Amino acid sequence: MALVIHHEPDLNHPVMIVGWPGIGNIGLITADSIRQAVEAEELGEIEPWELFFPNKAVIRASILTQMGFPTSKFYYKKLVNRDLIFFIGEEQPATRESMYAEGPRAYEMANIVLDVAEKFGCGRIYTSGAAISLTHHTLKPKVWGVANQKSILTELKNYPNTILMSQAEGRGSQGGITGLNGLLIGAAKNRRIPGICLMGEIPDYLSRVPFPYPKASLSVIEVLSSVLELNISPNVLNDMISQMETVIGNIYQQFPQDIRERLEQRKQVPESRQQTTITEEDRQWLNEHIDDFFKKGEDKGA
Amino acid sequence: MTEPIKYLSQPKFNNPALLVCWESDAGQLGEKVVDYLVHELEGKTVCEINLVDFFPLGGVTIEKDITLFPQSTFYFIPDRDIVVFYSTIPRYEWSKFFNLVMDVALETCNAREMFTIGGMVAMGAHTAPRESWATFNSPEIKRSLTYYQLSREMDYETPPGARPTLNSYLLWAAQQRGLHGATIWVPIPFYLVNNDDPAAQKKVLEFLNSRLYLRLNFARIDAEIMRQEERLARLSQEQPEIGRIIKKLEGNLALSETENETLIKEVEECLEKS
Repeated sequence: MALVIHHEPDLNHPVMIVGWPGIGNIGLITADSIRQAVEAEELGEIEPWELFFPNKAVIRASILTQMGFPTSKFYYKKLVNRDLIFFIGEEQPATRESMYAEGPRAYEMANIVLDVAEKFGCGRIYTSGAAISLTHHTLKPKVWGVANQKSILTELKNYPNTILMSQAEGRGSQGGITGLNGLLIGAAKNRRIPGICLMGEIPDYLSRVPFPYPKASLSVIEVLSSVLELNISPNVLNDMISQMETVIGNIYQQFPQDIRERLEQRKQVPESRQQTTITEEDRQWLNEHIDDFFKKGEDKGA
Repeated sequence: MTEPIKYLSQPKFNNPALLVCWESDAGQLGEKVVDYLVHELEGKTVCEINLVDFFPLGGVTIEKDITLFPQSTFYFIPDRDIVVFYSTIPRYEWSKFFNLVMDVALETCNAREMFTIGGMVAMGAHTAPRESWATFNSPEIKRSLTYYQLSREMDYETPPGARPTLNSYLLWAAQQRGLHGATIWVPIPFYLVNNDDPAAQKKVLEFLNSRLYLRLNFARIDAEIMRQEERLARLSQEQPEIGRIIKKLEGNLALSETENETLIKEVEECLEKS
């Protein structure tokens, strides 16, 4: 697995922001939106051949002319307050059956990202992902936070619209973050690089749909914009959010009325959501039917 | 440490062609083509790729009471111009896997060209003539196969969300190592995808026979084609509904979802019984 660095910029204790795909593509959209907003430049990449199954073949006049692979790129931006490095992975190195990375390849990739963080003297790493929550899609998603060192928990507690994962919906002290967004801050801990994972809330009933949930990304972007003083426009994801709200609204109207009524209660009592959970039977029903709703939504041109 | 390749024999090679076939291909294309070549021409095992890096080996899969286990084997065909690689589709580490295939092809066998084969699901009837076509990894091999009329001058890009085929990926891997290659595609009627399709198998064998001067005897596969045609003709007679559906396909008419399902079910039962 080869790392290629195109530039050697002189960066001043940069912060690294990392995004990989996952539920609702929350982490990927977060990192990539900030990268675009600050107009970061390409720094380097991890060569894809050993990690990924290709994602594009181009055939011209029956001759295979091109084979495309998912990219895993680093970017950088020098700013007045602090410099930034981004790592954006189009895919997690996984088997064909799973979208989440695991095993030696995932650990190897996490360590290459950390090698770059160390090479440029990163003092902090942020990853981001999804927090599957008993929320409602019309509510503003909160952000759940996890740190890899006790010393930064106090700072994390003071982030806007953010709660510690242990305090979310009566979860208690146990939890987990699947895939590289979690693995990376775990591996960073062993190298003593402070790391935080910020997870935007996505309603449980939307967590299995194969579409983005940009509203949660926006919540994470707002947090990062505030703590890193990036001044990212709150309208940065407006188009994507309004497009997805139309799609989700159409599908929601197709849920059986009793399920919808129970979900509606979440809007009234957002502070005690654990009491407004849908039944296991409802959850199973939604899991079995949610893909069909989205197919219907597509047919309607949504 | 286990070696990535386990050699079982060391025959002398004279710039052979490499044929790559995959297990679980539509219409049992890969399995039956390899079976035909290795058995008819008395192929011998050259080497095997060590499975451990490419397949989950925590147990066995069972299908219709038969255990399945991955294999990745190279066969040498004495006195002929071909080496055959037959493999289960690897589950991970594809790049490493293809590089091992190329190592054996180029360094052990000194292969001059590569062919992979693939079954393409088709909506036509089994009675329609089978026309094979190809994708190539270089203009040179496309040119050298002009006589076989395999090119459809096709333009294609993988649509978003889909993935290239394993054969395309292998063609690309061969291109990176400078080995000219082509994938030969054969249509498989959709209701034969999970069954045996000897007519499609013969189409591939005919191409290989002609290109590589294999001097194949087609008697056994001709008999299989005839047997299957008789079975399907009998099915059409015994069940007029099936006959009607096949007639519709022969007339290039679209089938309803129910007709599709009925045809698949009845053909599978018929071929399994016999």
